[in-house]
Amino acid sequence: MSAIWAGLALGAIYGLVALGYNIVFVSSGVFNFAHAQLLMLGTFVAFFGTVTLGLPPWLVFVLAAVVVALVAVIEERTAIRFVRSTEGLLVTTLGFATLLDGATQVIWGGEPLQVPFFGPSEVVSVAGGQVFPVELVLIGAMVLLTIVFVLVSRFSMLGIAMLAVSEDREAALMRGINVRAYAVGAFAVAGAVAGALGPLVGPKTFAVATLGTALALKGFVAMAIGGFGSAPGALIGGLAVGLIEALAGRYLGQSFATLMVFVALLAVLLFKPTGLFGHARERVV
Amino acid sequence: MNLATAARRIPSWSLPLVLAVVVALLPVLGVGSSVLRQVVLVCILALLVSGLNLSLGYAGELALGQAAIYAGGAYVSGYLGAHGQTDLLVQLVVACGVALVLGLITGIPGLRLNKWALAMVSFFLVLLVPDILDLFEEETGGRLGLTGIEPVTLFGLPLDREAFAVAVVVVTALWIVVFRNLVTSRHGTAFLVLRESPVLASSTGISVFRMKLSAYAIGALPAGIAGTLFANLDQYLSPESFGFALAVSILAASILGGSASVYGALIGAVILQLGPLQSTEFEQYALIVYGLLLLVCGVLLSSGIAGIVGRLRKKVERRWLPREQAPPYEGELLPDLDGARLSVEGLSKSFGGLHALDGVTLDARPGEVTALIGPNGSGKTTMLNMICGYYRADAGEIRLDDTVSPRAPFQVARAGVARTFQTPSIPSGITVAEAVRAGRYATEHTSFLSAVLRLPAYRRARARDLDEAARVLTLVGLQDLAHEDATSLPLGTRRLLEVARSLISRPRVLLFDEVASGLDEDEVDRLGELIRRLRDAGATIVLVEHNFRLVLALADRIHVLARGSILATGSPAEIENHPDVLREYLGTPVASAAATPGGGRDDD
Repeated sequence: MSAIWAGLALGAIYGLVALGYNIVFVSSGVFNFAHAQLLMLGTFVAFFGTVTLGLPPWLVFVLAAVVVALVAVIEERTAIRFVRSTEGLLVTTLGFATLLDGATQVIWGGEPLQVPFFGPSEVVSVAGGQVFPVELVLIGAMVLLTIVFVLVSRFSMLGIAMLAVSEDREAALMRGINVRAYAVGAFAVAGAVAGALGPLVGPKTFAVATLGTALALKGFVAMAIGGFGSAPGALIGGLAVGLIEALAGRYLGQSFATLMVFVALLAVLLFKPTGLFGHARERVV
Repeated sequence: MNLATAARRIPSWSLPLVLAVVVALLPVLGVGSSVLRQVVLVCILALLVSGLNLSLGYAGELALGQAAIYAGGAYVSGYLGAHGQTDLLVQLVVACGVALVLGLITGIPGLRLNKWALAMVSFFLVLLVPDILDLFEEETGGRLGLTGIEPVTLFGLPLDREAFAVAVVVVTALWIVVFRNLVTSRHGTAFLVLRESPVLASSTGISVFRMKLSAYAIGALPAGIAGTLFANLDQYLSPESFGFALAVSILAASILGGSASVYGALIGAVILQLGPLQSTEFEQYALIVYGLLLLVCGVLLSSGIAGIVGRLRKKVERRWLPREQAPPYEGELLPDLDGARLSVEGLSKSFGGLHALDGVTLDARPGEVTALIGPNGSGKTTMLNMICGYYRADAGEIRLDDTVSPRAPFQVARAGVARTFQTPSIPSGITVAEAVRAGRYATEHTSFLSAVLRLPAYRRARARDLDEAARVLTLVGLQDLAHEDATSLPLGTRRLLEVARSLISRPRVLLFDEVASGLDEDEVDRLGELIRRLRDAGATIVLVEHNFRLVLALADRIHVLARGSILATGSPAEIENHPDVLREYLGTPVASAAATPGGGRDDD
């Protein structure tokens, strides 16, 4: 049971990355490879705020959200705005991701930094398993954010407009939707959310410059399992990836943990390429 | 013979060849071992980058697993070397086999899903390298690394440091020859067509599935080769050599040098290997440098250094080495075409709740122009797409003569159905003549091997490609633009290019989708004349068109589609005065026949 809790908490992080991909994907049709690096940056800023500056928790949240949102907007301005092709976007967002990897490594070094959790840090026993409070908070945050995302995208004008942009950019432009503002806005929101999650994710994963790549790929698996563009899919997919990784690591050996995630990815792509909650499109020409 | 002609006669590969010979002679000339090591490392990186160039630059597929395939080749070679099999050729062959398998496995999602899925799966493979090495710890040494690789031999003779460096340069040069011969052949153009659009590729009879598999397989080979070379460089392998930083540096070198180029791989490899990878104090900034390179080159320098050099060369050629005008085409311009009867019976298709086509029956006969008209959204283009096999019918049947039309689009094309697109689909980075020749790729099959070795079969096919392209370009009146960049053409000329591309395969059925829109009056007249000549040559022509006057002037029979079903069928004279047609176009019942549909709301 303890392994399951650990897996779910890890899965919540993957789900959060997938949700971040979705926010940007739905609103601007861009797959932002660097989103996981934004989350990683959030953990570093959390470390900086909590340990280096000794700020109170609420200020750390604000600081991380603002800094990361700012970086995300810079990314939109440099890596996204002037690039149109899929290949081009992969190159530039990967470039931005690598830049963040390199920059955090130069600033904070290559060793993992422990980010202290602002809440209680004693292990508690839930449903027959040992779990850290921060892990429960992570799972809760993931569920909460998914609900918020679904509500906003279904019932607010903002969400419907975002959907229109992702469906047909030009048609949305003609309906008077400020497509560019939405694109920047989506990056800012996704960045702010990623940053604000830093103080929650950091205690679980540590702040380390290699975190981004692993999170990016496993977040992508979460999205592939759940279906592109689906928030509940991101939640389920993320938790599934976390569980697979934790259980494979526990029962098959640590070397199998990531490998089994890869196997799951291949299986989904082969047998259910649209994911659990995605839907296929037929029109081609 | 003047200077320009003489300069053009010098083959473009002369300079690279001289360079390769000089570099191969470096060890003999007695340069230091640290220089030799750099030469070997540049060669290895160039091999890795050229594999990426094939899949990313030419085929447009984001297969980024080079670092993992490289690891596979290196460890297999290292394992062989540590177990007595030290022959370089044997190791190369085995490593290539491993590379092929790995390349195909990572390609699976690219066959079924979008480009992002392929990118992520191939990246994921890089992430897995240390874990997999750990699982086979006994064979690979796990995280500690693989030691005990015995010195490499060739035909039983040991290769010393200098001889090994020569071997590396020769192997790399040979691969570049293979790569160059492949991408400058008709296969290279076919890859570019695939990159532009899989829909376009299949409409010219290219099997997208096969082409993608080929790109993954061939793109993986140089990574396997590079692995063998690397394993024998230090006779020690560690998982750290194959990490994410390497994957990113390969991509950065490819983008910097120019992905869609042969020598760009070398340029990128030289710059990255001798630049940021060189100095140790620079190492911690390496990721920042790669990131910036990707960002800046991705935004500003989309065709890389090779692209800049290519543009400069074109300018120089235009200014100082004018091309001689090609002689006019001498053969028969329009031989008889063997048209096939196209019949559609009870065809239905829905997208969700929208009935795009509802029980449509029509036919088109050889030696006739059959026009398909109707308001926007009436199902005309859907009809063409279904004939081409892009959608599966909910009900009904499409026949060519007496056989049921095949299912896959590329098979439909090979059965003799050629088309143009409403929005012309023209691959970037090739000339008008090349774009037209791409239409003949599947008409005459040649193997990759015959292209690489430039065998007689390939040369014959290429000669016919050139001849046929000259014919159809003359036919549509574009012969003077043959060597222009295809994407630089204005819209009307692009349409004519598409017509030429559809004609080059000597099709049995021609589908023209709004082929006259965007053409000026003069061009429309010439196009009308051409369509008449094609009809008289025996082709089956289906014309989807908004230009009502053109339709009336050209068509033998007209089918009017409205809201997914046939509203009326008849000769131009019948349709021109058909009350239902007038109502559909003008919205209200019209008493006077003087109001022609041409003035209706369908004029867009």
